[in-house]
Amino acid sequence: MSSSRNGNKQNVLWNLFTSVKLTLGLLIVLAATSIFGTVIPQQEGAMELARQLSPGLVRILSSLQLFDMYHSLWFRLIIGILTLNLIICSLDRFPSAWKRFRSVPKLDRSKPLDHVPPQRSWSTTGKREEVLSLLAGVLRTRYKRVYQKETDNEVVLYAEKGRFSHLGVYLVHLSVLIILVGSIVGSLFGFEAYVNIPEGETVNTVRLRKSQVSRTLPFAVRCDRFSVEFYDNGAPREYRSDLAFVRDGKAALQGVLLVNHPITFGGITFYQASYGSLPGNKARIAIRREGDPTPVVRDVEIEKPYDLPGGGGQFMVFETRADFMRMGPAVQLAIKPPKGQEVHFWVFKDADLIKERFPGIFERFPKLNPKAYKPYSFSLESIEVKYYTGLQVSRDPGVPLVWTGFFLIMIGLFVTFFTSHRSIWVHMAKTKHGLNIRVAGRANKNPVGLERELDHLTSKIKGKVEKKETA
Amino acid sequence: MNSIILSYITFVYFVSFLLYLLMMVMGKEFFGRLATVVTIVGLLGQSFAMVLRWIESYDLGIGHAPLSNLYESLIFFAWTAVFLYLLIEWRTKNRSLGAFATPLAFLAMAYASYSPSINSRIQPLVPALKSNWLIAHVLTCFFGYAAFGLACALSVMYFLKKREKPDGSNVFIRIIPESSILDDLSYQMVVIGFLLLTLGIITGSVWAHSAWGSYWSWDPKETWSLITWFIYAAVLHSRMVRGWKGNKLAFLCIIGFSCVLFTYFGVNFLAGLHSYGKM
Repeated sequence: MSSSRNGNKQNVLWNLFTSVKLTLGLLIVLAATSIFGTVIPQQEGAMELARQLSPGLVRILSSLQLFDMYHSLWFRLIIGILTLNLIICSLDRFPSAWKRFRSVPKLDRSKPLDHVPPQRSWSTTGKREEVLSLLAGVLRTRYKRVYQKETDNEVVLYAEKGRFSHLGVYLVHLSVLIILVGSIVGSLFGFEAYVNIPEGETVNTVRLRKSQVSRTLPFAVRCDRFSVEFYDNGAPREYRSDLAFVRDGKAALQGVLLVNHPITFGGITFYQASYGSLPGNKARIAIRREGDPTPVVRDVEIEKPYDLPGGGGQFMVFETRADFMRMGPAVQLAIKPPKGQEVHFWVFKDADLIKERFPGIFERFPKLNPKAYKPYSFSLESIEVKYYTGLQVSRDPGVPLVWTGFFLIMIGLFVTFFTSHRSIWVHMAKTKHGLNIRVAGRANKNPVGLERELDHLTSKIKGKVEKKETA
Repeated sequence: MNSIILSYITFVYFVSFLLYLLMMVMGKEFFGRLATVVTIVGLLGQSFAMVLRWIESYDLGIGHAPLSNLYESLIFFAWTAVFLYLLIEWRTKNRSLGAFATPLAFLAMAYASYSPSINSRIQPLVPALKSNWLIAHVLTCFFGYAAFGLACALSVMYFLKKREKPDGSNVFIRIIPESSILDDLSYQMVVIGFLLLTLGIITGSVWAHSAWGSYWSWDPKETWSLITWFIYAAVLHSRMVRGWKGNKLAFLCIIGFSCVLFTYFGVNFLAGLHSYGKM
């Protein structure tokens, strides 16, 4: 702990932010408050809920910013305090960890060798130089750094590994900061928007999700085709948009956009997000003149005049609807008789169904009557359906930082939990019975692992030394 | 075919649970050894059935790893729980955890196989699930969940062991290892779980970025996984820095696993992007 700070007030604050108790408290508070946003619908969903609740309750919830709590001031404040806590704790502890990371190995420490269990202390009759080279050999194959210190009667070999394990936790904390910075960069310099493009059309503006403001792109996007494929069971198999990115009137890039396969153009990424259908510009109309045995079927385009069979004037489709007055697909016809006023009326695709449900409706409303222009009767066979593709459009310059943070946090966690700084001492001393060898160790983490390693090392050394003895 | 085998495996795990229990109550090692054999047979059978399901999905022309819906994830959760348990049994040479771990597997399998609301048919992948991230995401998440499940089981054992009378008259409790060992093991499970949960959140996030254009959208499942992450981060800090052990830690492990369960099942009652998990 840093006690050298002057000023009592500063000390209190510093102490507060160096405390892991604060960390624990904040983590629990963050976990608990995060629950609200999963129970209360957020953002768009909130509008729906707000209509069902009493105005008073809505006022309370919205003044607490609970309808968009993850972007609220108070939630960001908690994250901010936790971040400050993380930074100060790390700054406070890092110097001592760095010291341990850089420490000079202490070969003459006797403490670790004080209580060596009997199985790791034994005597041999081998020659000093030979045994020493054996010991050093075993250690060198297992550790990168091996140090040696000799006096008249004793030799200490010191080996170690995993010094970086002291730094793992700081790497984790640094990664969390990098991820947070990445998310801030993204929200400051990036945007998230959406756009619907009907097949065959070109757009160059998108609508921002947050503010609903439209934003002009430095290029245009054309949707040549949208298609959706289904499995036999009716579940969707693939959504596909054929897009062209147009700059200065030329298609600079053409590509197929699928879910999970976004396309990036000019630094902006497009994602397949949704789709829908619009009535298109073509319809198939059956026209029957009274007395004729069969109707005449015509494929027509919107706003183009066609002659009626039998020369009773001209007709034109001037509006198509996918669903008119909740009675299904319909077109509005304009008929120009040879003399007199134009006649306008709607023709439905599901006329038979409508007749069944609302008997007499066509007779009562001339605007809906397919026989409104005598002596013809019209029926709508089909309307061409045009899809529009719904694209998510976003630019997030923070993503590389977030990815870096993700990568580093995994390395950091691995180092923190699965490596330890292990120091091994092998001590050899001259006694009356020959040479006494002792093996001891220290580790900053995972004592069980250290014991296992010491046992393994001991048996390896014993084996080699004994082999030498018998040889 | 595979789902029929899997529904039988449920009973195999139930039998191994009974055998572990019998070992604990009677104090006879024989039942324990038999339980291990039955559990291994169960795991092998389950692995076989899962591979079979994978192959069958290719025969149907909609080939994908069996990790795509609630049924398949429950089956995989049971598999990971048993697999991790057997690993611990092998490392610690103690079987008492079996009586607490096999119920996790057995309950998950029973829920998957016999709940009328869960469809065990092989379903094709919808466009959002067609990604190489699917396997990595589900694999890491569920290994993490299983590790947290075992940490919770060990914590329950810890509380039982605490109630042991000094004369050791209760065979059941006597067979449970020392509380310090339980504490250590459950900490190790939390470490493994935390690492895998982190990786699970990361893979999910990278996947979400390529599917929806945003690596984090505060969808309920995402948020709950983060809540779980916060809880276990608190567990690790309390242990590593403050040296918390015993009661407090065991309590937090149980809270943590309830969060995992809510992330897994509870979230299905809330609207969100992860609706595949409901099917």
